[in-house]
Amino acid sequence: MTIADVVKILDGKLMAGDGTSPRAVGAVVANDLMSDVLLNDSDDILLLTSLASDQAIRTAHIVGAMGVVVHNAKPLSETMLKVAADLGVPLVSSPLSKYDACVRLHDAFLAEERG
Amino acid sequence: MAEEYTPTILQGQQTNDDEILANTPLDTKALGGDSSVIIMELLQRFKVRDVMKRQIISVARNTSLREAQRLMRENRISGLPVCEDGRLYGIVSVNDIINALDNGWIEDTCESHMASNLVVLEAGMPISFALRYFNNYTYGRFPVLDADRKLVGIVSQRDVMRALLYELSVEIRKLERKTSNNVPEHATSERYFRREWAVVHNDLSRAGHAANDIKGILRERKVDRSVARRVAVAAYELEINICIHSHGGVLVMLISDDTVTITAKDRGPGISDIEWACRDGTSTANDWIRSMGFGAGMGLSNSKRVSDAFDIQSEIGKFTKVTCTFKLNKPAPSDQ
Repeated sequence: MTIADVVKILDGKLMAGDGTSPRAVGAVVANDLMSDVLLNDSDDILLLTSLASDQAIRTAHIVGAMGVVVHNAKPLSETMLKVAADLGVPLVSSPLSKYDACVRLHDAFLAEERG
Repeated sequence: MAEEYTPTILQGQQTNDDEILANTPLDTKALGGDSSVIIMELLQRFKVRDVMKRQIISVARNTSLREAQRLMRENRISGLPVCEDGRLYGIVSVNDIINALDNGWIEDTCESHMASNLVVLEAGMPISFALRYFNNYTYGRFPVLDADRKLVGIVSQRDVMRALLYELSVEIRKLERKTSNNVPEHATSERYFRREWAVVHNDLSRAGHAANDIKGILRERKVDRSVARRVAVAAYELEINICIHSHGGVLVMLISDDTVTITAKDRGPGISDIEWACRDGTSTANDWIRSMGFGAGMGLSNSKRVSDAFDIQSEIGKFTKVTCTFKLNKPAPSDQ
């Protein structure tokens, strides 16, 4: 599942960064607490959060995340878009709730596993 | 991004410094978005109380405008607060005196012609607020009230500029001293790389900037990916800690042949119980900080967890200094 796939699965829109990477998302971390995200040591994570702030992008960059999805179509500030573009972190906005986004991503992972 | 702020009006509802800070992030554009971090830090660190004039010449409500005119002339000032027992009722300006002379009411009391709907500053506000007030209003000076709404000073643009210039000269001297003492040792040595970032109190719009830079530098220097990630995590947590808990400070990275060291030193309240502060889930953060995704009490424990060596020193009311050391070309600790 690439970032481009994530955009489709979550009815989302790529707001900043490059969404054409062929790299696959390794795991999804759904969290609004950035210290928790920093604790996670999985590679290639996708951060799903309601935290529509620069800090979500900076945290994603620190842990080398594949991208950030802000759910519930929360408004994204100009600075957040700029930080995402500057740090090269794909930023996706999705209208889904955190729960629905998790369910869809989980289903997509299962479908991938089944081939 | 910058939000509108509401000026404090004397007759309006009382506000509290923390609320003002929480609701009014520093508008870096208004102050010059690319300003030096030292200047930005000074603007946040210095409070109105640090630069205001404390000796106030004032009049009572029943003082005549003629007496006010005499006081202004003798003291060469263009405005007088009308104040009794510390309570500010209004201000009489030179314009009020001119109007009184023109209209023949110079013997009236100050109360009858003073301006009473005033914009005031609070003593605990950072001087960045004062600069914005001078920018947004045409007044040359503002009365300053303390937390009990008592008049404690007057601040003019000149007061702010004089204090800023003085402090800038101090900072420049420090930088010059550092340039002549420390930097050449590292900068000219192929064995060391040193870089320092200033971290500004409560400026969450910039917090994380240093940690992102650090990760970029480590990536450029081809430091092992897992080590770079651990260094960046510690740097980020410590940077956020300085930003939200201290009065400002610095984050320093020193890379040698075999280690990376991150040192975070702040001026601030210090930590009374270091063991408690290093436990997971212990925090003194407020709701505003939590709403930004931090303040869960994981900062120090996270920094310690990812480090190969961890040291913390603190003195109440003075400083906290945290040093995290990472060995290069070494696997992550087993608990990673």
